[in-house]
Amino acid sequence: MHNAIENRELIVLDGLGIRIQGTYHAPPSVLSHVPLGQRSLGRTGVLFLNSLSLPRAASGDSAVHWADSIAEHGYPSFRIDLPGLGDSGGSASTDLLNFINSGGFAPVAAAAAKELVDRFGLSGLVIFGHCAGSVSALYAAAAGREASGLILLDPYFHLPQARRPKVRQELSDWARRSKVGRLLSNTYDWAKNLLLLLRGSALPGNANSQLLAGWKQVAAGGLPILLLKAPGIKAHGFRPRVGEFDYTGHALKLAGRKSRVSVEFVEGADHSFANYGGREPVQRHIEDWLVSHFPLEDFNRNAKRAAPLRAGEKQSDSRKSPTAPANLGCALKGR
Amino acid sequence: MAVQTQVQPNQHLLERAGYFPVSGAHLYSVLHEVKNPVARVLLVGPFASERHNSFLPWVRWARYLAEGDIEVLRYDYRGIGESTGAFEQMTFADWRQDVRLLSAWLAARSLLVPLVLHGLGLGAVLAGDAFDQGIGEGLLLWAPPKNANQALRATLMRWVGLEQIFKFGDDRKSASDYIRELERGSSLEVDGYRWSAELWRESSGFALPAALESEESAASAYQRPVKIVRLTSDAAPLVKGGLVGYDDLKDFSWLYAPNREWIAAIALQCSTGVAHA
Repeated sequence: MHNAIENRELIVLDGLGIRIQGTYHAPPSVLSHVPLGQRSLGRTGVLFLNSLSLPRAASGDSAVHWADSIAEHGYPSFRIDLPGLGDSGGSASTDLLNFINSGGFAPVAAAAAKELVDRFGLSGLVIFGHCAGSVSALYAAAAGREASGLILLDPYFHLPQARRPKVRQELSDWARRSKVGRLLSNTYDWAKNLLLLLRGSALPGNANSQLLAGWKQVAAGGLPILLLKAPGIKAHGFRPRVGEFDYTGHALKLAGRKSRVSVEFVEGADHSFANYGGREPVQRHIEDWLVSHFPLEDFNRNAKRAAPLRAGEKQSDSRKSPTAPANLGCALKGR
Repeated sequence: MAVQTQVQPNQHLLERAGYFPVSGAHLYSVLHEVKNPVARVLLVGPFASERHNSFLPWVRWARYLAEGDIEVLRYDYRGIGESTGAFEQMTFADWRQDVRLLSAWLAARSLLVPLVLHGLGLGAVLAGDAFDQGIGEGLLLWAPPKNANQALRATLMRWVGLEQIFKFGDDRKSASDYIRELERGSSLEVDGYRWSAELWRESSGFALPAALESEESAASAYQRPVKIVRLTSDAAPLVKGGLVGYDDLKDFSWLYAPNREWIAAIALQCSTGVAHA
């Protein structure tokens, strides 16, 4: 058994006293004798956190794919299993979603980020999270000083229900199958929209205020953030489904004009971003964004600069949302 | 740190992750090392996306065994999870070879304790196949399908169910529609893995050995202990169903306890046999 192969090495961190298992993807070196660990000195790294309870490879091994690709472009990448998840020690909360939504993983994720920066001599670390993982990434960035950027895939700023009632699930399924159901579903959406308009700019009751405060802290503070969105159910590009509160728009307003938030819509992605229509565009967006915000002196790559979408700018809806494909392996699907 | 916790695993047990070299790839494996083990178990886990869905109960099972002095090796199939290799280039021959190589490595750690193969889902077919070839002193099967195709169909059904959440009316395709595409020779992307038509075709021919249809037939065919556990939906996500983030965190001790006892009994039987010999 080997601990390291080609460009990968298995690492163990001390996550506040809990053994954290991870994988380090080293950037290539022109000098073959340079040990993997020394190839990251002075570079900006990327740290991948778990999405809900998925192991660190993520859906369809997409995180492995992205970490390999990012490292190949000169940015060391690290995928870790948070305590109780994947191969790491500790026990996961049986109320995992609420634990994550209240920032339960923030201290350990921030500590892991610090340990990686110290151990590998990184100049900074971008924290990557998908869905529930993006919530942990955001909390970790707000809790520590190590995050030099954030990559958030389909973050959510509300408190989703742990489980939808079975009747509601069946009703939703019927609405998708039948024309009458669809008509009723649309009518329901418009009724909700009317209530939304009457409420004005007030946040919905299920807003995650603690997370939004964390977002405001890091985004308004000028932390570079790449926010990628996949087509949602009955959504239209960036815009949410009729009758749903526009959390992304609200978050951009909170971030303010001086923020460095880039928002990209990944048209062919499903919510997991692991499908081939999602993972390749995500890879390109990340690489372009990294080159734009954390340029490497010794890497010569002609990358397109990501055009940041700033607060107050109108989100482009020119790329129409196709019928959104499935959300794979995520407990938040369909909400 | 956790709000509510389950049975705390013993933090002092050593878990060693590593890469096992095979032809053209490296298998990611985790050895749950035990001092003076009474038995060793090779866990042959679920396939592709099912790995992710059932990861937590599978790891907890490995730890539960290790706490009972049973050394465990679990691994990722070639081209899946942390293992290297391109999934779409892999065949059942590669995955069969993985089982043979790892079981030989695990058995060689000590010839004095029995080696048990344990397979779940498609892993049960692989474990059963290796056992049929004479590998292992015992075999434990959870939710064994008749053949690999049956396991792939279960995965496909789960994926189609999720896919349909986002589709409306005529855009919704049934599992039969996707199966027809595979049978016509097209590849299909399921949960981020590209299934080739070849994989689908081969899966029908890769069957659980006939003698493993029941414990009775296995007993007479192999003269080695075999336990077959048919899992119901209570065992989700180890079988089709369940929600990631919820069902993978529930208590599985009802399943773990009797199965560990069964493995320990094999160990006892073997040690008695060795003593008599």
